[in-house]
Amino acid sequence: MLSSGKMNRIYDSVEPRVIDDDMLKLAVGEQGPQEEAGQLAKQEGILFKDVLSLQLDFQNILRIDNLWQFESLQKLQLDNNIIERIEGLENLTQLVWLDLSFNNIKVIEGLDTLVNLEDLSLFNNRISKIDSLDTLVKLQVLSLGNNQIDNMMNIIYLRQFKCLRTLSLSGNPITQAEDYKMFICAHLPDLMYLDFRRIDDHMKDLAEMKYQYTIDELKHREHLRQAQLQEEQAQIMKLEEYKMAFVENLNGSFLFDSMYAEDMEGNKLSCLPIVGELLEVYKDKFVIICLNIFEYGLKQHEKRKLELDTFTECVQEAIQENQEQGKLRIARFEEKHLLNLSAIREESELLAIEKKIVECSEDITELFNVLMTLELQLVEQLEFFADKDTIVNAVGASHDMHLLKIDNREDELVTRINSWCTHLVDKIHKDEVMRNRKRVKEINQYIDHLQSELDNLECGDMD
Amino acid sequence: MEVLREKVEEEEAAEREEAAERAERMEKTRPVEVQKEETILTQEMLRDLEKKLSEIKIPIPAGTPVITEDTIDVSNLPLSYKTNTPKEEHLLQVADNFSRQYSHLCPDRVPLFLHPLNECEVPFVSTTIRPTLMPYPDLYNWDGCANFVSDFLTKVPLPDPLKPPSHLYSSTTVLKQQKGNCFDFSTLLCSMLLGAGYDAYCVNGYGSQALCNMDLTREVCPLTVKPKETVKTKEKAQPKKYTIKPPRDLTSRFEQQQEIKKQKEAKAQKEKQQREEEERLLEAEKAKPDPLHGLRVHCWVLVLSGKREVPESFFIDPFTGRSYSSQDDHFLGIESLWNHRNYWINMQDCWNCCKDLVFDLGDPVRWEYMLLGTDKPQLSLMEEEDEGLNDDDDIEDLGKETEDKSFDMPSSWVEQITISPEAFETRCPNGKKVLQYRRARLEKWAPYLNSNGLVCRLTTYEDLECTKILEVKEWYQNREDTLELKHINNSSGLHTDYFRPGHPQALRVHVYKTMQPENDRIMEFYETARVDGLIKREETPRTMTEYYQGRPDFLSYRHINFGPRVKKLTSASTESNPRPMTKITERFSRNPAKPADEDVAERVFLIADERIQLRYHCRDDYITASKREFLQRSEVDSKGNKIIMTSDMCISFEVEPMEHTKKLLYQYETMMHLKNEEKLSKHQAWESELEVLEILKLREEEEEAHTLNISIYDTKRNEKSKEYREAMERVMHEEHLRQVEAQLDYLAPFLAQLPPGEKLTRMQAVHLKDECLSDFKQRLIDKANLIQARFEKENQELQKQQQWYQENQVTLTPEDEDLYLSYCSQAMFRIRILEQRLNRHKELAPLKYLALEEKLYKDPRLAEFLKVLA
Repeated sequence: MLSSGKMNRIYDSVEPRVIDDDMLKLAVGEQGPQEEAGQLAKQEGILFKDVLSLQLDFQNILRIDNLWQFESLQKLQLDNNIIERIEGLENLTQLVWLDLSFNNIKVIEGLDTLVNLEDLSLFNNRISKIDSLDTLVKLQVLSLGNNQIDNMMNIIYLRQFKCLRTLSLSGNPITQAEDYKMFICAHLPDLMYLDFRRIDDHMKDLAEMKYQYTIDELKHREHLRQAQLQEEQAQIMKLEEYKMAFVENLNGSFLFDSMYAEDMEGNKLSCLPIVGELLEVYKDKFVIICLNIFEYGLKQHEKRKLELDTFTECVQEAIQENQEQGKLRIARFEEKHLLNLSAIREESELLAIEKKIVECSEDITELFNVLMTLELQLVEQLEFFADKDTIVNAVGASHDMHLLKIDNREDELVTRINSWCTHLVDKIHKDEVMRNRKRVKEINQYIDHLQSELDNLECGDMD
Repeated sequence: MEVLREKVEEEEAAEREEAAERAERMEKTRPVEVQKEETILTQEMLRDLEKKLSEIKIPIPAGTPVITEDTIDVSNLPLSYKTNTPKEEHLLQVADNFSRQYSHLCPDRVPLFLHPLNECEVPFVSTTIRPTLMPYPDLYNWDGCANFVSDFLTKVPLPDPLKPPSHLYSSTTVLKQQKGNCFDFSTLLCSMLLGAGYDAYCVNGYGSQALCNMDLTREVCPLTVKPKETVKTKEKAQPKKYTIKPPRDLTSRFEQQQEIKKQKEAKAQKEKQQREEEERLLEAEKAKPDPLHGLRVHCWVLVLSGKREVPESFFIDPFTGRSYSSQDDHFLGIESLWNHRNYWINMQDCWNCCKDLVFDLGDPVRWEYMLLGTDKPQLSLMEEEDEGLNDDDDIEDLGKETEDKSFDMPSSWVEQITISPEAFETRCPNGKKVLQYRRARLEKWAPYLNSNGLVCRLTTYEDLECTKILEVKEWYQNREDTLELKHINNSSGLHTDYFRPGHPQALRVHVYKTMQPENDRIMEFYETARVDGLIKREETPRTMTEYYQGRPDFLSYRHINFGPRVKKLTSASTESNPRPMTKITERFSRNPAKPADEDVAERVFLIADERIQLRYHCRDDYITASKREFLQRSEVDSKGNKIIMTSDMCISFEVEPMEHTKKLLYQYETMMHLKNEEKLSKHQAWESELEVLEILKLREEEEEAHTLNISIYDTKRNEKSKEYREAMERVMHEEHLRQVEAQLDYLAPFLAQLPPGEKLTRMQAVHLKDECLSDFKQRLIDKANLIQARFEKENQELQKQQQWYQENQVTLTPEDEDLYLSYCSQAMFRIRILEQRLNRHKELAPLKYLALEEKLYKDPRLAEFLKVLA
């Protein structure tokens, strides 16, 4: 393997190459299973999407291409080539191990989709800035030695990788800085190995003391950012919840303001002396009503949720019970079936065999019937009772309340609720139909399997 | 009704009479107290009364005491046991008076049990009770106390079963003798219960024959009673709003009804038969009627509700330590009851045993008290029956409160009850007790009494005569192998050993018929103590089943079938010729990290058939599970090449067919993996077999050795710690001696000569020093002289002997010569030693002298004076 690689290099040293199908086939064939398994593999052929590991070193590759088929690839070696750009790796989402050392890469890019990446080597390239790694949250090992990184700020960028344990930056201009090691130790406290050496605790303590203030400040800033992010998230969640309850933007004066924003006449009126005061009073009252509706809406939402939960629970219970019964039947059948099969195998007389086989197939048909009956029963049960009235009731109650409201908004609310309701009912029905089809398919498949097994047996015996 | 009314009236009359008399008595008692003031007026009245009362004869309780007085060493008892205090004398007078009144009022009733003899004296029953709280946590609750008393004492029957005993010994004596009658038992128990805060009373009454003779042969042994299974009232879940309707039931109602009817009839028939059988058995078991029924005197303990959160009053039989409800059939009547505060006489009718008795001791109609204690139990108002008597009561109460607080029960004459820790641990007399129950026999031993740690044995019999043993249960304590209980079932021949946590092999339960390997056997383990998480291993001659829990590989079950052992030509031992395995079944619980289609639920290695079956877990919403079956046949195709893998070597059913699993490569790899696994499983099974052998060997060794553990806190038994402690004590003692010696003051005799309390002057100090030194010098010289004198004396003696020998040498017998020679050698030895000592003394004396001088210069008392001098 190695010798062939070297030969290739010598042979191809003049001409830069692009990864093509032939090269891939060759590599896969060479690196695939060996010996007995290898014979099988050759016999069957290996599909690119089943390959887990691929080695393409010393191939004088200039451009990465044609790798999109390797969906389940976990380890890819592209070292010792002349690659200039990281590209064509978007599809390899399962990749854990990527080696791009000894190439001519200038910029880190094109790695955004490789979220499972844990080990990344970019040793001996021409990189000057650590960047575009944000999505690689699982990163543990990062090798960036022999590059052109010269700014300490790159280290701070690495703070976001919580799993990072090993880092190598040797041979970069940055290492010339006098407190290079201290700086890294202080800013990446979880790091275990730096430039192939273990960081001892003493060093860590020293570094921590030295950079305490800057680190604290950094931490504070990061903390603030985190808090802000969380708050935003919470806000969005809340809005989402209100939307589910159809009362978003009702806990304030939004509606009132929006009402008057388009109302030119009203605005004009408000210029009149007394109207202004009246308007204020009106607004206050309006807001209070809005708040009432808001709260009421939330309460109704809770109610709906509860209702829906009990509903799904009941349906699940029914399905579960049915499933258990089915499993029981199958288990019972299998027990008997196994006995039957072994009896057939041992039987020597042809007539008796035939008789037994007939019995068996009768059993199978019976099982089919039983299972189908169970399924039909369940369908019937579910169909008859999935009436939407109860769910709609909750909506109806809140409707009355809404009459007090500006038509526009009310219409919106009601239509949304109704659409939600119909949607829900549709979904339940659809789910049920899907489930039913799946189950029928499963049963048929199982029966087919049994039948074919029996047939095989028959054939074997006939022979 | 009429009769009852009359009775009530009678009682009322008696009550009134007595009230009047009591008032008189009160007057009488007061003068007794103020006798020193000599109020003659009342004295006369008193005499008059006494005269009248003394005319009434009281029958004296008589009987031969079982514990004769000469068996008790009276001399060691404290004074309070032998003499009565004036207060006690007074109390006795009161009691006598009370007794006379009682026999006057109720001439048809048995005389009161008020003041039996103790070891030396005549005390009052109540003062025999000495409330004591025991320093053992086991004795804090009533059941612990009752069991202890019943275990600790041996029962002695009453001298006359129809009369109370004439003697009532103190608990001190009873505890020392470890035997007593029911009164002794009750007194001790009552003292302990009162000490523990219960509202307890000694009861003098009548019990059934079984109760009085401590005959438990008709009782079911409490240890054999299985705890009632708590009936699980499974709360039927509220039918939810959307619960689907069950499919329509199409079976015939009529048929169902007929079926139920039939079943009911059959059941009734069966039940009837059973009942008849039971009745027959009961009839056989019934005891002969007792001719003395209702007359047998017994003494037991009553615990009233209220204190210590006792919800309901109950009796405790002190012989057995069991509690009975106050309605129990064994208790036939109550004469009186008492505790350390007071004495009450039952005024209620006992025609229906004790079932109708009301234990409201504050009710003077039902319970006649002797003393008006300050702590008389609350009179419950709802029980008030006689409206007419109310006034009288009130007056009485008033009288009592105003006049009669003056006298209360003197404190007990009995010493505090003490039980030594050794006695507490040994419990039963000689550490052994045997109880006979109905179809059961219970033997108890003190811990460490038996060398194998046996503390309790319960033998259950099939028949009433106790000849056919049904099962034997043996409890052990302090075993090193943590064996706790051994259960031998005679009918099934099963032995079950239970172990506490801590066995070297983490064994919990071991069920077996024989200790031979490859037999029916169940071993349960403390799975958390084992690395492999094994819970249980079941064995039959041909199979072994193991259950696991909490393993990282999710294995939960392994079943191994063994084939018959192949006979090898070279007859090897069992270890080297294991039974061939024909089938290994392994089950795994669901591994949530894997999809159901790849998570094996069961794999079966059919070793004989060279087949491997896999069954996968079922997906959540599916009813069928994937299956795979591999045939491991190494065949050769027509060209002679080995077939690696063909599609018919793997039969699989997949719930959702996937592409990659159809590949031969995948199947080949899976099969290779499984082959490897098969090897491992075989190895595991083999190791399990070895482990069984090892455990059996270990168990046999343990049984043989049956060593007992001794806690390091057990200072008496733990030899090691005892030695250590003694050594420590010795060292301490020596250290102490040395210190005392070191503290000997060489200046003391000289300082004593000086006038005390004055400061030393320089002159005195110098003088002191000189004196001390000269004294020491003298001592040294004296010593030298002494040695010298002895030396010379020995020398002279020797010379004399030699002279004598020279003179009589011719006439000496060989014995005399021997004697002389031995004397000579001894004398020479002595002389030599003396010489050495003298030389040594001469050498050391100046040094010693100098040392003392230096010491004197450094002595804090003299230093400042002598420094100047130096």
